[in-house]
Amino acid sequence: MIQDHFLTLVLFSVLVALFFATLSHRDRPGFLKSMGKTLGWMVLGSLALAFLMLWTGR
Amino acid sequence: MSEPFPRWKAYVVPLLTLAVPGLAHWFLGKRARAAAFCGIVTITFLSGIALHGGLFAVTSPNWLFRLGGVAQLGLGSLYILGRAVGWGQLGLLDMADVMFGYGNTFLVTAGLMNMLLMMDAFDIAAGRKE
Repeated sequence: MIQDHFLTLVLFSVLVALFFATLSHRDRPGFLKSMGKTLGWMVLGSLALAFLMLWTGR
Repeated sequence: MSEPFPRWKAYVVPLLTLAVPGLAHWFLGKRARAAAFCGIVTITFLSGIALHGGLFAVTSPNWLFRLGGVAQLGLGSLYILGRAVGWGQLGLLDMADVMFGYGNTFLVTAGLMNMLLMMDAFDIAAGRKE
């Protein structure tokens, strides 16, 4: 179940990061940098929020 | 920048995205980006369906579903096709699925992505960006 949640999180983050990087960058380095930053922040931010909810919910 | 279209064409071309995601960009000569956008929006849509998300009606009694329906209208033909073949029906088993919320998020996001694509296509057609 946790694996499903995490994979869904990663899939959504990849799709959104890919979309915005393609929309706003035409050069490869800019594209990769944008994608990496968006993906990183989305995954880490989601995990942080999930753990915060878990700890405060106890 | 390329020569901008006449104003009325700049308003009409983005509507192609409602038929197929990325079609307006294809028409404007941005072939690689069009293919990428088509793939991304379609995968997001299909992921939402696979996760038992709902395709909301804009006439739903629930205001949140109505709002979601408005966002999903951005998908255009994908939304119409999905509802026509019976996807996203909001059955009891679907809503009881733990992935239901995720599915909704994917579907709403796909609709909003397609709306952004329409706005981007307008900017390109109007000569505001390349």
